[in-house]
Amino acid sequence: MLLKLIGASLILFAGTLIGFLQAARFADRPKQIRQLAGALQRLETEIVFGQTPLPDALQHTASNAGQPVGRLFQAVADELSAGEGRSFRECWDHAMRRAWPTTSMRAPELTVTLRLGSILGMSDKDDQLKHLRLAAVQLKAEEDAARDDQAKYEKMSRSLGLLLAVLVVILMV
Amino acid sequence: MLERVAHLLPSELTAVLARMPAKAQEGLEEIRIRDNRPLEVWTLGVSTFVSSSGSLSDNPEGAYKPSYELCRKLLERMTNHSVYAMEEELRRGFITVEGGHRVGLAGRTVLEEGRVRGIRDIGGFNVRIARDVTGVAGQSLPQLIDRNNRTIASTLIIGAPRQGKTTYIRDLARAISYGRWQSPQALGWSGRKVGIVDERSEIAACVRGVPTFDVGPRTDVMDACPKAEGMMMMIRSMSPEVLIVDEIGRDEDVEAIREAVRAGVSVVATAHAGEWEEAAARPAIKRLLQEGAFSRGVVLRRTITGLSVKVVDLSAASAAASIATGSAARAAGHSTASPREPTGAARAGESHAP
Repeated sequence: MLLKLIGASLILFAGTLIGFLQAARFADRPKQIRQLAGALQRLETEIVFGQTPLPDALQHTASNAGQPVGRLFQAVADELSAGEGRSFRECWDHAMRRAWPTTSMRAPELTVTLRLGSILGMSDKDDQLKHLRLAAVQLKAEEDAARDDQAKYEKMSRSLGLLLAVLVVILMV
Repeated sequence: MLERVAHLLPSELTAVLARMPAKAQEGLEEIRIRDNRPLEVWTLGVSTFVSSSGSLSDNPEGAYKPSYELCRKLLERMTNHSVYAMEEELRRGFITVEGGHRVGLAGRTVLEEGRVRGIRDIGGFNVRIARDVTGVAGQSLPQLIDRNNRTIASTLIIGAPRQGKTTYIRDLARAISYGRWQSPQALGWSGRKVGIVDERSEIAACVRGVPTFDVGPRTDVMDACPKAEGMMMMIRSMSPEVLIVDEIGRDEDVEAIREAVRAGVSVVATAHAGEWEEAAARPAIKRLLQEGAFSRGVVLRRTITGLSVKVVDLSAASAAASIATGSAARAAGHSTASPREPTGAARAGESHAP
């Protein structure tokens, strides 16, 4: 009996935890998208006004952005300084794809970010500005969508975790 | 020579160039990279095409063709992944990179109100390898000194492109700055404060404001600064005794040089021209010569034996006779006058530096 009780409470605990984690992902996504947009804004300032070389600009952006977005830019900066004759786009693609799963962001934001990789640093100021602004607009749209998702699914997934755990316990008893 | 620029080139390209014969690598002067067209190099004074196995040939067929991707990578390397930070350079059509090497660019230009604002779709690169040779100016320096003021006389150096003008004035700056006057008359003279206005970052090849070439201990460099403005800034702030500028020829340069000469500063300037008469015919330079801003002229020409330096004394020649001076110099060009300080009438000597 005692064993059953311990097992049931473990399942309940795990289910609740999974639910809360899922809910946290929904809650974090819009926050992180906003953070990413903020970081890109900073990058834009570095590029357009500071005319800072891209490796330094990425480094500055990385150290000023909050986590986990700062990590993304740091990863790109690290790959770039490692060099090995790869182009910026390859470094950007590789670093972003590798570090993306450590964030709560999803595929649509990744697509927007990767698209930037093929243009960053490769044209004049005006052009860079245009592309960075476009990315900001797209990210804003994603952020709104993420907020809707959050409103819809955050509470639900929290209770769903607990309820599913209860269901499992009931079925097993 | 190749190893000096290897870090700038994509590894595929370096690999191809490294397969060239050792002698060709050593004599490398220019690497001309064109998108999807044969790879050309200037080495040992001639142009040849390079195949992917590194063999050299006059025939463009069978030569290695750099891909679009490679050109993109090259541009990224040259600009440190930051084309946007190079607008001024793109407007001028070349980038000076670490080590003083100059990369010329060709492509589709972007216009703004009829003026070139930059280059986009860059399809041609010309990597000119900078060489720093110590001592090229040494032999002719005794002919350029101003004995009364114990310094160098104001000198105009002319030569066609690729004749070694920049190498020459860099060595001149170094010699003056160290006080290596190379002349018995100049025994005991100390070095002079030298100001270099390095608009193209070629003379000193500054990286973050610090010269990468040895330009002497008494030398200050105003890097990437427009010549006319830079000369005035130098005079105001750094009190130079000798000002060194590259490639003059615009109207505002004239005014600045005039100002410098009036302030008692010796000016050493270079200008593009094949012959002395050609230089003297250019309006801006003509005005300076007529006003007597320069008291020496130097004509540089690269020969098989080395650099041929022809010195023209302008101080005695009157302004109107500047053309005559030129022909006198030409007449004397083949005589083997030993290096000496010209005195009195217009006289020319020729000396060879290795």
